[in-house]
This record gives sequence, structure tokens and C-alpha cells, in this order.
Amino acid sequence: MKRKDVLRSVVMLLSCTIVMLLSTSAIAGPSGKLTMFHAGSLSVPLAAMEKAFEAKYPGVDLQREPAGSQKCARKITDVGKPCDIMASADYKVIDKLLIPGYADWNIRFATNQLVLCYTDKSAYADKVNVDNWYEILQKKDVVWGHSDPNLDPCGYRSLMVIQLAEKALKKPGLYKKLLANRPKENVRPKSVELISLLQTGNMDYAWEYLSVAVQHGLKYIVLPDEINLGNYKYDNVYKQAFVEVTGKKPGTHMIIKGKSCTYGVTMIKEAPNPEAAMAFLEYMLDPEGGLKILKEMGQPPFIPCRVPTAEMKKALPEALQKLVEVKD
Amino acid sequence: MAFILLPLIELMTAPSFAMLKETIKDKDVVRSIWLSIYTAGLAALISFVFGTPLAYVLARTDFRGKKLVESIIDLPIVIPHPVVGIAILSVAGKNHWIGELFNQVGIRIMGSVTGIVVVLTFVGMPFYINAVKNGFESISPRLEKVSRSLGASMFSTFFRITFPLAWRSMLVGIVMCSARAISEFGAVVIVAYHPMIAPVLIYERFEAYGLKYSQPVAVWLVFICLTLFLILRILTLHDREKA
Repeated sequence: MKRKDVLRSVVMLLSCTIVMLLSTSAIAGPSGKLTMFHAGSLSVPLAAMEKAFEAKYPGVDLQREPAGSQKCARKITDVGKPCDIMASADYKVIDKLLIPGYADWNIRFATNQLVLCYTDKSAYADKVNVDNWYEILQKKDVVWGHSDPNLDPCGYRSLMVIQLAEKALKKPGLYKKLLANRPKENVRPKSVELISLLQTGNMDYAWEYLSVAVQHGLKYIVLPDEINLGNYKYDNVYKQAFVEVTGKKPGTHMIIKGKSCTYGVTMIKEAPNPEAAMAFLEYMLDPEGGLKILKEMGQPPFIPCRVPTAEMKKALPEALQKLVEVKD
Repeated sequence: MAFILLPLIELMTAPSFAMLKETIKDKDVVRSIWLSIYTAGLAALISFVFGTPLAYVLARTDFRGKKLVESIIDLPIVIPHPVVGIAILSVAGKNHWIGELFNQVGIRIMGSVTGIVVVLTFVGMPFYINAVKNGFESISPRLEKVSRSLGASMFSTFFRITFPLAWRSMLVGIVMCSARAISEFGAVVIVAYHPMIAPVLIYERFEAYGLKYSQPVAVWLVFICLTLFLILRILTLHDREKA
């Protein structure tokens, strides 16, 4: 009797599996594992995109690996880790490290910029605005901070923004004066950590990416384009700002020059799953798909996305060509 | 034993002698190790002052809700470290009345030595209390009763009878508490990145320069802690032989 029960359940299980196998294979289209390396600052919007995309293509399992953009590229070039799609917080990383050996094209799809975040409990929260923020940051009773320039790009970018403000506002010495009011204790390893300090009232103002500010519902001050590192047309202005960060060993230093926060994405030539990668890129670069999510999360997308030359547009897979324009 | 020793031996032997020498000349390294030792020491001292009476009460009395009190004391052991940091910060911020009070009298928790000591005491105290409580429990209350019946006051009973019998467990408690405090990283890095205690410096070195430059700092920390604890152990052992 018992044995019969066991037998019956085994048969049922087997038939279920067979039916399931048949039904998945019946759906044509992309399936399997899809690997994407991306900048850490894209984690939140990409998590939302992953959900929507996997709902659309249940057969695909998108596996994302967030890391610093440089590190992502190194994982492909130096470590040789298999990867389908790579999205960088600095589109030039793809140009410099991946093209032509590992990728053929580079689509710029979104921007970001530095903003000064605060909460309604921050000191002078009712007074601060785009014209007086640098005066408020000099006040003795104001606690403000940024992330560690040696560990987090957002950190050195925050310092660049202040340098650019000094130039744009024609206030020599502003950078020094501001930093004099920022004790070392207000520097944190990663910019996201500053948010909890803002929210618990341990800090009044913090420099963050616009996307981070929007995703965490913080108040923020948007600065003009020539300061905020958000518009790549100002790259010539941005590069006047530079920050010294630690080099490869303690005691050594290197200089990083300012440039815009422009995001780029590419498909790796040796992609293990090109079919799924194409499906995801089509979704991600669609103004009604991924770009809409980016916009909602404070990472202003390019609609449509951009490639620098007509040749590069021609090099794109056909399905993507209709989603981009040629614009330098 | 091999499980504990193998990774540690690997760590200790990885950096070259020259690297170690160079590292200990680095002012940041010396400062952070010193800061680690002295904040952990302060945490142990605070635990000693406030934890001893509490441990005594817990060892000697029985009351309703004692189990609850004991569980609460153990809480800092089980809570993930970053959570401890976040919890302390949320009390220390201006959004909380205690933080506002601190702010007005000029006490800063975030990014200060005070903050580090607060965190280390928070995570270290349970180890002290538990060790000392066990010590008190192993002393028969009869001895105390005899002393009291012979006319000694409660205080002199404690200092003349209980303390001499329990001081070894207090020392163990202090070693446990400061050991736990020196190893704390997760909670401290949230409350205070600068000034850097040794574990935070090791993390910063690892992130910014890689394994090669964080290892020597780690070796020095392990070495110095080992020496300190060895000295403490020898001191206690020495006395036991005499007794």
C-alpha cells in the first residue's frame, strides 16, 4: 500500500517535470543566465529593471555584479570573467579599456550630477538655496561632509564641484575656506553612508549624486551645469578641477581631473548569451522601458540615447539602431 | 587548533620584514593602534565601574524578570555590528532629544573618540558582566554571611571577602571585554571613520591600496594584542601559583 503511494507520487512528480520542461521550451526567445557588470550607482534602477525584464522574459536570469566602473572593466580585461553587458558610470571607461578589444560600441544613456543634500531638520534648512549654499557651509555650527576621495569617486567629485564653484563664482580661496570648516571626521568611506548621518541628524549637509538624493527622498540643491559635473558639454570646464588622491601605495599620490558623470553601456564581444543581452538592451534603452525607470530614480536619461559617430551607429546591432541618435 | 592557526600564520608570515619595519614607522599606523588599545582599555574600565555592581546584583539576587534583564545584557553580542552603530547614531543625532542634549553641552558622538568608546563599551560590556557574574556565583554566599554576622558592613564585606575572591574573574572579564572591543569594526566604522582605530585603518588600506598594504598593519595589531593578553594571562597565573 505504502509502496504504491510512493510510486504514484514519483510518477506524478515526473509528469509534472516533463510538462514544465515542455512548456518552457515551447516559449521561443531568450533564456538562460545573463551577466551584467555595472557601476554601483546604477544598482537601484537596475534592480527595478531586472524585475520588469524578468517578468517579461521569465526564462532569463539576469545576474548583476555591481562594482566601481574601473573594476568592472578590469574584471573583463584582466580577469577574463565572462560578461554579457557592461554599464559604466563613466562612459570613457568603455572607450579606453574595452574598445576595440572587448567591445565595438558605446551608448551613452544617462547622466548624473552632484547635488548638495540636506533634510528639513538640517541647520539653516529654511534659508539654504543655490545662491548662498557656500556661505552656509562656512558657518561654524553647520556640519557637512563628503565621502572619502581616496575610496569613492563621489568623494573627489564633491571636491571638484567646490573647486568649480570657486571659479564660477569668482571667489578666490572659497575651496580652502569651505574645507577648513569640514573636519576630517566628516569624511566617510562611501557617499551612501552620509545619508544615514543626515537622516539621524548627525550631519546637516552632504554631497551626493542626484540619483542617490532622489532615491532616498532627500532635499537637495541643484547647482548650475558649469559646476555640477552633469553635462558632458562642459567637460572642458570640468577638467580644470583636479583632486589629489592616494596612489598605489601609502605615501604616493595621483591626480584626477574633473569630467562629467555620463553613463555608457556596451555589449561585450564574447558575450556568452548575446540573445538575452540584446533583449535586455532593447528594454533598457527603450524610453518606455528602462529609461523611464532611470528618469523616475533621478538619473536623467538621454532620450534617445546617444552615440558619437554615424560609423558607431552602423556598428550597432540592428535592433538598437532605432533607439539611438548620432550626437556628439 | 590548526583551523585557528593556519590563516593567522599565513597572515603573519606574508609581509616581508622590511614592509613591517616601514609600516611601524608610519605615524598613522602607530596612532591608530594606540587609539585602538586605549579606547578598548577605557571601555573595559567603564565596564568594570558600572558592570561590577550589576554583575553582583545578578549573581546574588533573584527577581522577576531577571531572565529578561540577562537577555538584554546579551543583546549586544547577537545584534549585527552595523546595526549597533546605526542605533547609537540615531540616538546621538539632533533628531533625538538625547542627541540634542549632547549637542548643547558640546559632546560629539559622530567621528569622535567619545563615540568610539561608547561603541566599544556597548559591545564589550556583556562579556565583562557575564565573566564577573560567573565569578561571583562561584563564591559561596555563606562566606559573605559569616562576614556580615561578624559585624562587617556590606561594603567592607565586599571589599574584604568577595573582591579578593572574585578579582581574577574580573581580570578575565576585562581581558574579554577589551579583546572584544579591539576587534570591533562594523559598528565603529559607522560611528567614526576618522579618527581611525586600527581595524578601520586596515579596512581603509585594504580598500585603497589592496591586501599588500593592509597585511602589515594587521600583523602589528595581532602581535601587540597577543603580547598584551599574554602579559595579562601570565600575571594572573603568577598570582595563582603564589596563592
